Amino acid sequence: MFRTTAVRAQSIFRNALTPKKAHAATVSRFMSSHSTETDEQFDTRFENFFNRKDIDGWEIRRGINDLWGHDLVPEPKILIAALKACRRVNDFALAVRILEAVKDKCGPKVGEIYPYIIQELKPTLTELGISTPEELGFDKPELNLESVFHIH
Amino acid sequence: MAGTLVALGLRAIRHVPKNAPLQASAAMSSYTRTLIGKREIVGFGFNGEPSYVDRADFPMPAIRWKEPTSDVQALREKEKGDWKNLSVEEKKALYRASFCQTFAEFKAPTGEWKSLIGISLIFVSGAIWVFYALKAFVYSPLPESFKEENREAQLRRIIDLQVNPVQGIASKWDYEKDDWKK
Repeated sequence: MFRTTAVRAQSIFRNALTPKKAHAATVSRFMSSHSTETDEQFDTRFENFFNRKDIDGWEIRRGINDLWGHDLVPEPKILIAALKACRRVNDFALAVRILEAVKDKCGPKVGEIYPYIIQELKPTLTELGISTPEELGFDKPELNLESVFHIH
Repeated sequence: MAGTLVALGLRAIRHVPKNAPLQASAAMSSYTRTLIGKREIVGFGFNGEPSYVDRADFPMPAIRWKEPTSDVQALREKEKGDWKNLSVEEKKALYRASFCQTFAEFKAPTGEWKSLIGISLIFVSGAIWVFYALKAFVYSPLPESFKEENREAQLRRIIDLQVNPVQGIASKWDYEKDDWKK
């Protein structure tokens, strides 16, 4: 019984245990793959994503949500592409929401990063007629809602 | 308990629309429709469900906040033109049609920590009163060995027995001068 098990186990592990011939192109290793994308490639990838001519509102939202999952404040050029994409799909609210979300993404350094981003975005904002959240009065709370956890 | 569950299950079955198509996805979407009304599904949201939540980590919810009423539709038509022609009021109305609360609103502090700390301290003070009540009416007094002279006698005996003479208490006692080492 034990011998049968051992023989079977050996045949299962043989492939994993015997060293493979190292291929020039692909070397298989027992570890997770790391991203080799540089920061510039990352920025260009998202910029190109938002610059696509046939982008729709669904994809802009998906792109923003994905981008917001990273530990970074997006480069102004990505944001410019995203705002122009909002203009192409005629969604003004989306553009303002992106600006608000960027301000939130700056975290504790909002005083340093956010003015820089607005300064970089200013030409695009005036060109497209987008108001910043501050111009719309969205930087201060104006609508108080009872928390859904306290209603009942 | 079991009866309640059966009743709940029956109610859930009864409320499925009778003319629902056989395909599961189509049935789900018609059920979703009853939840979200005429609101447009505009994105993936945070988990693929057509629900509206204001979240900072997923800034774009899956559906618009308001149903497309006639005045929202009119604004949407105007939105297709130049955005510079929109007034501030119209811009805000457009934002509120898509989103419920701004970041400043849903991240505003609620002040809840004050009531949390206050209520916690009330319970802590209650516990202190309970402790004193037990001390006064329940527990017997502390044993003799807690008195000052008994504890001094105990220390004297520890020194006489030379407890822990290398690194401990007896190593700090000078037995020739009969006092602590200086």
